[in-house]
Amino acid sequence: MNLIDRYVYAVGRQLPRKNRADIQAELKSTLIDTLEARSEGEPSEEQIVALLTEFGTPEKVAASYWPESQYLIGPKLYPLFRMSLGIALLVFVIVQLVLLGVVVIFNQQPIQILELTGDIVGSLFTTVGVVVLVFAVLQRLDVKPNIEQGKWDPRELPEVEEKYEVNRRGLVVEITIALIIIAILLFWPDKIGFRLNPWSGIILNPVIISTIPLIILSLLIGIGIDVVLIWRGHWETGTRVAKICANLFSIYVLSVLLTGQNAWLAEQGYVGLFSAIEALPQNGTPSIELVQIMSAQAFRIAFIVALIVISIETFKMIYRFIKQLIDKSSSTRILPPEKA
Amino acid sequence: MANQTPLSETQAKLTQELRRGVLVLATLSQLDEPKYGYALIDRLAQQGLEVEQGTLYPLLRRLEEHGLLQSEWNVEGNRPRRYYVISEMGKTLLQDLKVDWQQLASVIENLLSQV
Repeated sequence: MNLIDRYVYAVGRQLPRKNRADIQAELKSTLIDTLEARSEGEPSEEQIVALLTEFGTPEKVAASYWPESQYLIGPKLYPLFRMSLGIALLVFVIVQLVLLGVVVIFNQQPIQILELTGDIVGSLFTTVGVVVLVFAVLQRLDVKPNIEQGKWDPRELPEVEEKYEVNRRGLVVEITIALIIIAILLFWPDKIGFRLNPWSGIILNPVIISTIPLIILSLLIGIGIDVVLIWRGHWETGTRVAKICANLFSIYVLSVLLTGQNAWLAEQGYVGLFSAIEALPQNGTPSIELVQIMSAQAFRIAFIVALIVISIETFKMIYRFIKQLIDKSSSTRILPPEKA
Repeated sequence: MANQTPLSETQAKLTQELRRGVLVLATLSQLDEPKYGYALIDRLAQQGLEVEQGTLYPLLRRLEEHGLLQSEWNVEGNRPRRYYVISEMGKTLLQDLKVDWQQLASVIENLLSQV
């Protein structure tokens, strides 16, 4: 009978304390009853093993005695939990972006990447942990959201919104690129420039260096909006307007960069788009100054390209926005989802 | 459909759900006289309803928590056993459930006859 005692003990360790002894006594009595019915006289070890195997592991047996709704966060609270967690994470991202922006603009000290990452990861765990804890307590107190009780009127259901789905993958790529640029601007500003060859030193671009806070601010705004878009999953009037404004701000920043670069180049006496290449000596290596000019011109071309791309994108967005407004006001027909 | 559950697994799950649904009715119907756990399992098996032991005992406790059964330890005989018997509330509920079941069974019978 030693095996039965061990089994009952193992089950008991995982039972609710309140009626543990009672369940254990009943389980033991039942096991012995079953054994008696199956064997004549003293049961063999094989018979006991067979019976216990049939009953199932102690974990399984113990679990069947716990109340059915044994959840950290149950199915009734889960949708609300997901929504709250989403909001909390959104607020978290926005707060972190704002803090990062403040640090970039006001802090003159170099930023320690490890320290910063550690802080963000720590705060992220705290945020998720607090939400989980609050909901676990609500579950424990058996608080149920008002999803079953009460009268409801189907006529109060909100109108179906036309969904202009966002391209999540594209947004993730956008955020990643923005984060990489921010990281470079924050942590390796001494690497932004032009290299003549792999062994030469880096020739810095003075215009970018002086515009870093503005560039980062523009990128942070962009990330913030992209995060909201990923969370919402589709375009809404608010996000469209915000995205258009953010793009206009990016255009402004690019214009500042371009004008700065132009002014700097004019100061050095190089006005034409490819004047530095034209000034290259036929043979022999160009001077460091000339390489710096070439680098500035390369950056200028990059700024122009970026400006054109973002302007086209912004015009398209404004067009879509106006079209959406017109569609909304002119008819109630259901449009197929549009990839925006 | 790459992640489809095998048919046998689905069938086992659905059969289990069906049996679980009627187990309360079967249990209440057999407890007009006090019975201990194994005796009830044995009785149900004799009537053709095989029940897993691991399913029945927790169910008995839940029914008791809902006031449908009463139980007490009986120390007569060679060792103590917990005996369960249907309560007055359980009896009333059983009558209602019986009517529901008969209606449901006749509807399902009718539906299945068309298959």
